[in-house]
Amino acid sequence: MIFAYLDPGSGSLILQAVLGGVAGLGVAAKAMRSRWRSRKGEEPAPEQSAEGTEPVPAEETQEG
Amino acid sequence: MNWADPGSFRDPASRVVLGDSTVTRILDERGLADWRALQASDFFGRATAHGRLIATTEVDAPEGAAGALAHPRIGFITYPFEWTFSMLRDAALLQLDLMLEALGEGMILKDATPYNIQFVGGRPQFIDVGSFERYRRGEPWIGYRQFCRQFLHPLLMEAWCGVPFQPWLRGDPEGPTSAQMWRLLPARRKATPAAILHIGLQARAEARLKGREVRRSLAEAGFTADLIRANVEKLRALIDDLEWDSDDGTWSTYHGCDHVARDRDLKTEFLVQALEAVSPATVLDLGCNDGHFSQVAVSRGADAIAVDGDEVVLDRLYRSLSAGTPITPVLTDLQNPSPSQGWAGVERPALFERARPDLVIAYGLIHHLIYSASIPPARVVEWLASFDVPVVVEFVAPEDPMVGRLTANKRPEELHPGRDRESFDRLVSQHFRVVREADLPGGTRRLYHLSR
Repeated sequence: MIFAYLDPGSGSLILQAVLGGVAGLGVAAKAMRSRWRSRKGEEPAPEQSAEGTEPVPAEETQEG
Repeated sequence: MNWADPGSFRDPASRVVLGDSTVTRILDERGLADWRALQASDFFGRATAHGRLIATTEVDAPEGAAGALAHPRIGFITYPFEWTFSMLRDAALLQLDLMLEALGEGMILKDATPYNIQFVGGRPQFIDVGSFERYRRGEPWIGYRQFCRQFLHPLLMEAWCGVPFQPWLRGDPEGPTSAQMWRLLPARRKATPAAILHIGLQARAEARLKGREVRRSLAEAGFTADLIRANVEKLRALIDDLEWDSDDGTWSTYHGCDHVARDRDLKTEFLVQALEAVSPATVLDLGCNDGHFSQVAVSRGADAIAVDGDEVVLDRLYRSLSAGTPITPVLTDLQNPSPSQGWAGVERPALFERARPDLVIAYGLIHHLIYSASIPPARVVEWLASFDVPVVVEFVAPEDPMVGRLTANKRPEELHPGRDRESFDRLVSQHFRVVREADLPGGTRRLYHLSR
C-alpha cells in the first residue's frame, strides 16, 4: 500500500475515474477489469512500495 | 516553553509545536521535500499574499527534525461545527481552489478536512501547509472521500435537506458517510446527477470494494491528474451554486423590535466607555445577534469573538464582514457550548478554553438564559464571573415586555426565584465590583459595567 495517513476508501478512489468524465470511464473499466483478473488469480497483486511511486517533479508531469 | 498542539498529530510528515507566541511546524524528510516544492511554486506566493494561505517562513530545524517552518499565531481557533453554512461553503471553495492551483503545478492536497482552515479577518485561510505534497503520477485524490464527508455532505444536508449540519459534525467530526447521506436525501434530490454520482454511486462502490487494493489498478489503467481536475471543477461549480433557504431564524428580526432600536445608542455609548476603560485586545460578545456591538469593539481596536446560537443572524453577520475585519463568528448554543473533544478528549479544546477575552459583552442575553433556558440567576452570574475579566451586562427585570413573551406559557412557580433587580445586585456584589451602571429608558432594563 502506498503511504497515506488517511484512509481514502477503495470505492471512493475508483469512483474518481468515473467522476473525471468520459475520459475516465475507460480508466475505470480498465481498473475494474485488472482487479477482476487479479482476483481470479491470473496475476496476484503485490503490495506496492513507496519507493516505486516517487513523486513526479512538476516539469515531468503531463498535467503540470 | 513549547508544547505539542493537541490537534496536530495525525500526519507523521508534519506536526505543530506551539510556544507562548510562536507556531512551529516540524517536518520529516518527506515533509521538507514537499515544502521545498511548495515554496518554489507560483501559487504559493499568490495565495499567501492574498491571505488564502497562512504566512510561512523556514526556520532552523530542531534536533531530530529534517526541517521546520514558522507561522503567525492565530488569535482564536474555531471548528467547523461552530461555523455557519456560508462559512463552511467558503472554506470548501478555498479547499477546491487550492487543489486546482496545486494540481496546475504538479502538487496536490493530501487531505481535505475543514480543520485545516481558519477564519482570519472574516475570510477563510488555509493553515496546514503540510497538506501540500508533490503529485504522484497515476494517483487518485486521496482526500476525495474526506472532502465529501466533511464538506460536501454537511453543505448538502443544510441546502438540500434543510437540516443543520453542525450537530452532526459536533457528534461525529468525520462527517456523514455517503450511505448515511443517501438515506437522508429527499427523493427529488436523489434524482440529480450530483447526488447519484457523489453520494449514491459512492455509497455502492464503498460497500462493494471495502478494503480492496485499487490504487495500483487505477495507476495501471492510466489514471491522470486531469481526471482529478475535472472532478474538482465540477464539485466547485456544485458547491458554488448551493443556496441555503435561511429566512426563518428566531432572532433574524430581533433588531426590528422596539426596545432594540430605542436602546441601541445608549448601549453603544455605555460599551464605548467600558472599552475605553479596559482597552481590551479581545472581546467576547455573547448573544451577538447582528454583531453591532462586536463592530463597536473593533472600531475601538479590539478583536471580537461573536457568539450566537442562531445560524440565520450569524450567517448574515459573516456575509456582512468586509475583508480584514477582526470578528470571528461562532455558532454555539450557550446552554451547551462546544465541549473539549476528539482524541483523549483534548484534541479539540472547549470553546471557552480557546476564547480568552479581556472583556465580555452580555447584552440582551441573560434574561433568555434565566427565563427560556431555566438557568438559575445565581448560576448565570457565576458563569459570567468565571471568565475572570470585566463584563458589560444588561439586566432585564421581570416586568419587561420581552420577559412577558418568554414566560407566556410558564406558571410563576416554574420560574427560579431571585429574578428581581435587588437579587441581581446582591449576586453581582458577591463576584464583582460595579464600575458603572445606567438605566435604559423603558424602566425595566439596566446596564452594568462590572469588574472582578
